[in-house]
Amino acid sequence: MVKDRGAPEKVWEFDQVTFGYGRIPVLREASLALAPGEFVAIVGPNGAGKTTLMRIGLGLLRPSHGTVRLFGQRIDAFRDWGMVGYVPQRAAVASSIPISVSEVVRTGLAGRLGLIGRPDERQRWRIEHVLDVMGITAIRREPLSKLSGGQQQRTLIARALVTEPRLLILDEPTTGVDADARGVLRESLEHLVMIEGVSVAYISHDPEGFFGLADRVVEVRAGRVTALQAPSAPDHHHPHRRAEQER
Amino acid sequence: MEMLAFDFMRKALVASVLACAVAPLVGVFVVQRQQSLVGDGIGHIAFAGVGLAFMLGVQPLAGALALVLVGAVALHRLRRSGLSGDLALAMVFYGGVAIGFALVSKSGTGVNSVLGFLFGSALNLTWGQVGAIAALSAAVVAIVWTLYGPLTAIAFDEAAARVGGVPTDGLVLTLTVVVGLVVVGGMYTLGLLLIAAMMVLPVAAAAQLARSYRGTMLLASGIGASSAAVGLLVAYYADQAVSSSILLVAIGCYALAGFVRSMRRRGRATA
Repeated sequence: MVKDRGAPEKVWEFDQVTFGYGRIPVLREASLALAPGEFVAIVGPNGAGKTTLMRIGLGLLRPSHGTVRLFGQRIDAFRDWGMVGYVPQRAAVASSIPISVSEVVRTGLAGRLGLIGRPDERQRWRIEHVLDVMGITAIRREPLSKLSGGQQQRTLIARALVTEPRLLILDEPTTGVDADARGVLRESLEHLVMIEGVSVAYISHDPEGFFGLADRVVEVRAGRVTALQAPSAPDHHHPHRRAEQER
Repeated sequence: MEMLAFDFMRKALVASVLACAVAPLVGVFVVQRQQSLVGDGIGHIAFAGVGLAFMLGVQPLAGALALVLVGAVALHRLRRSGLSGDLALAMVFYGGVAIGFALVSKSGTGVNSVLGFLFGSALNLTWGQVGAIAALSAAVVAIVWTLYGPLTAIAFDEAAARVGGVPTDGLVLTLTVVVGLVVVGGMYTLGLLLIAAMMVLPVAAAAQLARSYRGTMLLASGIGASSAAVGLLVAYYADQAVSSSILLVAIGCYALAGFVRSMRRRGRATA
């Protein structure tokens, strides 16, 4: 396998991570790593520690032991957050004030722009591009609260993609989303992985959302991360992997 | 218009419209963050500042401004220390009133002298005070305009904003300070106990009609300004207190917005 010089071996890496809320242990020496372009599904029963694992991996919680790395850098030293796209559970972003689809997507640029920056031409183009990729251009002026669950989810994914991340982390993306919208969501994720080569961490208890897409499925159970499934056979439709095989 | 023939009414109009137009600009962030009562908490701290000013014999505005800046930092620290949002607010609520009352009593000026600061005294303003209100309003508009993007990001989804690299801690503190500027700016017109309502009521009204965040903000500001102008008119002709008239008009706007929304829905359902 040929790799770019200087490219990190892993985009997201947990090494022996331990965490607890007070005296209640949640994660015990949990280890997990995502390679560039890899789609990993993280499953487990409610309360198993999936969301805690994700929050530690995003620097929102600090582990008591172990290390987390993003793109080869320790998370406390990591600064290029534009490389990471985060899609929270929809319930976490309920809005009491109307906010349009394009406004939500634009908030994704806030970290890149700094405190007083305004989007440049390239960033405005990127907003249009992600609206188009997620199929929500026609509803860009609609208030988020008036949309279906699937449209809301695609809006949140578009927000996460606006900085051109190399790692996309989705937390229960299909919760409250109807079957048709799940299909559209799958197509959108397929596009991201196959065409744009984005690594995906997909946290869900619902296998329908990642079935056929995930390279690996890992389970968080009793605070530990275990592989449920060996990596799938090479995907011949994946342009990155196809290029590697041809070499 | 007859009432504008009087200098005190012209001053009241300018000061009230400024204070009530600016409050909702900050209110959209506060309401979205489910911290509608933060203005009340800061208002109580400002009351302690007025008491301190009475004690020291300085301008009440200076005392209120100094204490809200200190109070905003204290409130922020209390929240970050793990104390829940409403507990932290309760601490500053009651602490502010207790300290304010103690200082006013100690100053020997009498409790009646602070009523104007608690409930507003828009008809007794000097042009100097109107100038100070205009300066505070301009500062609020400048901060909100400059930080609109990151403030919207932390109001909508603080966790995602933090992950995206937005300095959320500093912005939350800045937002609390700006709430303090709004409260001090509204101290002479609506009073420390009532100005916080203008951060919430116009926003609640506008949210029923607007379709975007920016639209809600601008419409709420317009509703705030209109409530001030109409409220002053009502107060003049009905011989009522200015602050309560303005607030009652704002509540009327909320009810009217709800009516318009339900008519729109009914119209869409029958179409």
